[in-house]
Order: sequence, then C-alpha cells, then structure tokens
Amino acid sequence: MSISRSFAWSEIKEHKLIYTVIILVIAFTMASFLLENAYINYMMQVVNETVKNVTADVIITNPDCDVRDLYGTETTMKNAGEIARLIEERFPGYKASVRVTAQATYGVGLANESADGCTLQGIDIHDDVMVESLKKKIVAGRFFRDDDPILRGHTPLYIKINAPGNLPDIVYGAGQRLLREDEPYPVIVGAAAAKVHPSIISVGKELDLYICASARGANYASIRVKIIGLYESGTPTIDAMIWFIPADSLREIKCYGKVKGRSWIIPGIGSFHGFNPIEVDRNMGDAVIVKVPPPSISIDPIGYSEEVKRRIQSIVPDLKVFSWHDLLVYGAGSMQDVVTILLWGSMGVTLLLCGAAIKYVMDSIIIRKMREIGSLKAFGARDRVIFKIFLYQGLFIGSLSGVLGILIAILVMKIVNWYGISMQFIAGTQLKIGFVVNWFTVAISIILPILLSIAAASIPAKKAAMLPPVEALRRGEISL
Amino acid sequence: MKKEPIIELSHVTKIYGEYEKSVIALNDVSLKIFPKEFIAVTGPSGSGKSTLLHCMGLLDRPTEGKIFIEGRDVSRISGKDIAVLRGKKIGFVFQSHNLIPRLTVIENVILPGLIAGRKRVELEKKAIELLREVGIEHRAKHRGAHLSGGEQQRVAIARALINDPIIVLADEPTGALDTESSKEIMDLLEEMNKNRGVTVVFVSHDPEIARYGRRRIELVDGSVTYDGVNR
Ligand SMILES: Nc1ncnc2c1ncn2[C@@H]1O[C@H](COP(=O)(O)OP(=O)(O)O)[C@@H](O)[C@H]1O
Ligand SMILES: [Mg+2]
Repeated sequence: MSISRSFAWSEIKEHKLIYTVIILVIAFTMASFLLENAYINYMMQVVNETVKNVTADVIITNPDCDVRDLYGTETTMKNAGEIARLIEERFPGYKASVRVTAQATYGVGLANESADGCTLQGIDIHDDVMVESLKKKIVAGRFFRDDDPILRGHTPLYIKINAPGNLPDIVYGAGQRLLREDEPYPVIVGAAAAKVHPSIISVGKELDLYICASARGANYASIRVKIIGLYESGTPTIDAMIWFIPADSLREIKCYGKVKGRSWIIPGIGSFHGFNPIEVDRNMGDAVIVKVPPPSISIDPIGYSEEVKRRIQSIVPDLKVFSWHDLLVYGAGSMQDVVTILLWGSMGVTLLLCGAAIKYVMDSIIIRKMREIGSLKAFGARDRVIFKIFLYQGLFIGSLSGVLGILIAILVMKIVNWYGISMQFIAGTQLKIGFVVNWFTVAISIILPILLSIAAASIPAKKAAMLPPVEALRRGEISL
Repeated sequence: MKKEPIIELSHVTKIYGEYEKSVIALNDVSLKIFPKEFIAVTGPSGSGKSTLLHCMGLLDRPTEGKIFIEGRDVSRISGKDIAVLRGKKIGFVFQSHNLIPRLTVIENVILPGLIAGRKRVELEKKAIELLREVGIEHRAKHRGAHLSGGEQQRVAIARALINDPIIVLADEPTGALDTESSKEIMDLLEEMNKNRGVTVVFVSHDPEIARYGRRRIELVDGSVTYDGVNR
C-alpha cells in the first residue's frame, strides 16, 4: 500500500464515527434519490403504457381537435381510412388504424346505481394497432370474435337534438323496449369499472348505454351492450373509463355510412330516426392512430417522437398531429418535470452540506496533524503524496457512500417487490408500487458522491500539500 | 578529512516577513560541512539555529545566497526534486513529537524509506539492524506513543539513518529530555558518527550538550560569531 493510501486509511479509522455519519447521510440521500427516480420512472411507464393503450405513438385528428378530444370527442374524419392507407404506404413499418370513439353514459335510471360515464373506443378487431396488447390484458371473459353480433345492418334508435336542453323522455330505456329482438353489441370493460359497479358490470351482463354520438352538437343514441370481457391496463383510472367495442359497431351507432330510409322531424326537439338500413363506411372515423417502429437506439425517445410527428405532419399538413410526447406531457409529463427538478435539488443540497462537512473535518485533521505532515515532508514526501492522503479519504467516502446508496436502494426495491406493496387507489382499487431503474441515475448515484467528496477533499488537500514544511514543523515545537 | 564539502552555504541570508516587520534570521552565513564532521550549533534563543538547519536540510530556501549539496546548486532544483533529494540525502531528528504515535517503532523507522520508494522487506531488515544499534530492538513492534522520550529519540535516530543519508541534522535532540537521557542520546549520536561515519550537525543551547561537538558554530542574531574547534 502506498504511503498516501495507508495514511489516508489511518485517518479514516481515526475519524470513523464522523466519516460513517457522512457516508450514511450521502448513502441515504443517493438511495432515496434513486428510489424516487425509479418510482417516478415506473409511474411514467404506467402512464406511458396507458396513454399508448388508448392512443398510440401518433394520433391524427381534424384540426379543430385538442388533446382533450383524444379521449372520445374527436370530430368526424370522412377520409380517415385513406389517411391510414397513405401513411402505411409512405412509411414502411408504420401501422395505422382508424379509430372511432364516443362518450357514453350508463346506469341511468337504475335503482341504487348512480349514472356513470365511459369513453367507448372503437377497435378494428382484426387489424387494429392495439389488438394484441388488449388481448394480453384480458383478465375475465374473452376478446371479440367474428361471430359476435357486431353489425345489425340498421341504425339504432337515434335522436338528433338541435339545441342544448334536456333529453326527451323517449330516450330513457328506449333501446331496451324498441330493439328487443336485436342482439346486444359486445363490449370489453375495464376491471376497475367492474369493481366500482359490481352489480351492473361483470362478464355476461347486459346494460343500456346512452351515447353522445357526435363531438360538436348533440346526437344521442341508445343501445344495449353485453359485457364479454374485462381488461386490466395496470392503471385503474383508465380501466374505469375506457370501454372497448368493435369499430364497426360504433360506426353503425354513430351513423358512419350510407343510411337508407327516412327520419322524422319532431317539432321543437329535433329529428328522430331508428332502424333505418345502414351500410357502414370503413373510411370514416374520428381519428387515425399510428404505431411507429421503435428507433434503433432509444437514447432520446422524446426527440424521436417529435421527429415522427414532423414526418407524419408533412403528409397531412391540413390535419392535427399529436405525438406520444404531447399526450404524455398532457397526462403527467409536466408534473414529472417538476418533481424531477425537486429531486435533484434536494439531493444537491444534501450533497453540498456533506461536502462542507468533509471539508470541515479534513481542515481540523490538518491542524491537528500539522507536525506529522511536516515530518513526512522532511522525510522527502512530495506535495503530491500529502495531497493524495486527503484525496484518498474523499475518494473512499464518495465511492463507499455511492455503492452503499445503490445497495440500500436495491434492498428497498427488493423488499417492496417481495411484499408486493400497493397503494390505495380510486374506488378501492390497488395500484402496485414498482420501480423502473434508469441507468443514468445509477451512474449519477455513484459518480456524483465521488466527484463531490473529491472536490470537497481537494480544498483541504491542496492546503495541506502547499504547507511549507518549516511552518508545519514549527507547530508543536516546545521552544524555538 | 578536508576534501570536498558535502554541504556548502555561500552568503546565505534568510529574512522572514517584509518591510519594517521583517526579521533577519540568518545574515550572510557562509560555511562548509565536510564528511564525518560532528558539529554543534550554539547560540541564544532566536539566533537562527533552527533556520540554519532548515536551510541546510532543504526544508527552506534562503532569501539570498546559495546552498550546494555535494557540489550541486540547490536553487536550480525544482520543488518536487528537492523533496526527493531531501529524503535521500538528509536525516532529521527533531526536538519532540517525533514519532507518528499510531505506527509501530519499526514502521516509524522505515517510513522515510517507503517514501523514497524502497522495498519494505529490505527496509525492515535494515531497520532491525539500526534498532539494534540504538539499543531498542526489543520494542520494534510497540507503538511509538508507548515509548519514553529517550526511547523515542533513539528510534528517531534510527529513522534518520534508514536511507543512508550523507548528513543527520538534529535540532535540539535533547531539548525535551532529562539530563540522563540527554547524555545517552548524545553518546548514541557520537557513536553513530564514529562507527558509521555519518556527518552530524546538532543544535543545542545547552553548553553541556554542545560540548559533544568536535566543531562548533556559534550564531548570534543570525551571524556566525564563532566557527572552529570546540573547546
Ligand atoms: N516563520 C517565521 N516568521 C517570522 N519570523 C520567524 C519565523 N521563523 C523564525 N522566525 C524568527 O527568526 C529568528 C530565528 O529563529 P530560529 O531559527 O527558530 O531561532 P533559534 O532556533 O535559534 O531559536 C527568530 O527571531 C524567530 O522569531
Ligand atoms: Mg530553534
């Protein structure tokens, strides 16, 4: 062992109490920094997956839509199918689907069950970009099949109200009575919704939905659905809100197609039609969603997302294009940014305090060990040797606390995962606590304490190294 | 005996501080030290004895004048090379607080050797030999802190010799010891000078102790007032 290292080591042993305290403070700071980061990452991943679950990498809508419309109130795109085809043609590897959505209300008029709302996501049961991921998330019942009663060939009971106002009585319960012989549309419902309303939502149950079939205006339809499956996305909020229905069913419900037959005008209310024959038009939809192959190297997912958005915008200049990042920012991104800044800030402040403590301890060591430093210099020790005595102490403190911090973080994650600790979430549901470790923060947790303690140690180290040997030796001399 | 000097001071002046507060610690000192000499530096307190030793020992640079070590002009040597030169050519014995208390006696002795980058095994062999010579071999594994003042100075002498220096500089080596131990230490230094042929320069303000020197250099207010055979 070199002189510097052995002297550094004996100083560490001599000051083990104060150094242990400093090391523990840094280690716990880094551990909590790591854990909080990993937890935020996990939450962001949940949000991210959820956002992608209802949306995709890119969403194209009419220019009058904003981010909020992506959850069910987009305005109708007459040529959605063409746009989807165009994108798949122009960008090999990209997958585009036409999305049909609507807002629905259920539970109206039921005893002891207050009305609740959901977003109906129309999904192409063979060719949608998210068929596979949804299939994987089914926790009860099953996914859609071709022999499900997806289409009936006629419009459901459909009332168009020209002005805002109360719904006429005729809507309530009408679907049930007038469409008795029609088979209900199949739907897949989120598991959280089933927990919120166990008496009306479970696999096999039928219920009435009142659908606002247009985004701007007030077109209402009343339909009957049958729950064929439950899915769990990992985020109860989403499960409580998003229901899936075959896209063609929703086209029929929203009258997206050629309707043959007539409707009746009800003076003072609006128009009314139902049971008119309809041939759905697959070209029509509310949005086009695009799934993009992942980048070869994913260093900058946000940059990539923006790049994809620009590419797509270039071929649909008149439409609105939302990137996955736009949605994420809307959902939780800005919150994440703030929390991340706070995390770094509190970690930085603690580290600076520890740095100050290291400097203070070493300053006092230098004063007490002045004669020893002088002796070493008299015995031929170069300034560098003295410098390194203190530098090694800093290096030791920094690396030990960094490693310890990571170990503590790993331990906590293991314990949390082992016990499967969950958090109380809406409506009695549980949100599992998880961690997604980002290698960058791990690197920071080891590099930053080392850099800091080396920087803190180098100030007294320099002072000790520069000490004139004569001055160091005169200290403690009984008489001059 | 009078051949090439191992250390030569030529018109060395050392001034501490600046302007009206300045202290002339050494005033135009010129002297030569030859191999195998045994020299006492005497003079009243504050006369510049320690400063002289520090300059000779390359711990301090003179304000004016030149110092030659084996004919080499020290002022031309860079700071880090001076440290290396000091470690190899010069052995120090200080007044007190000499040993590093947490290290064992033998570790203390080999320390200058380790700093010079020599091998531990070889150093330990040599250290045992030196400890035997200073009569403290039996305490080799004890911690420095557990030794008496006289024993500590014996160890310090062994340590000063570990790198086979050309000269040993001892600043008040008996300053913290009683008369009995002081005599023992001086006898030991004399013995080392005779048997090993190592040049010794020691400082003492005590005439009894100073009598050991064969040559005596007397300083008063930084100037050499006597340099010759000690009577
Ligand atoms: N670092 C210093 N700054 C200012 N004056 C000093 C310093 N070191 C020594 N002196 C002064 O230099 C003179 C010589 O000191 P020193 O060589 O220690 O004397 P001695 O060892 O003979 O007692 C004294 O007057 C002392 O006060
Ligand atoms: Mg003195």
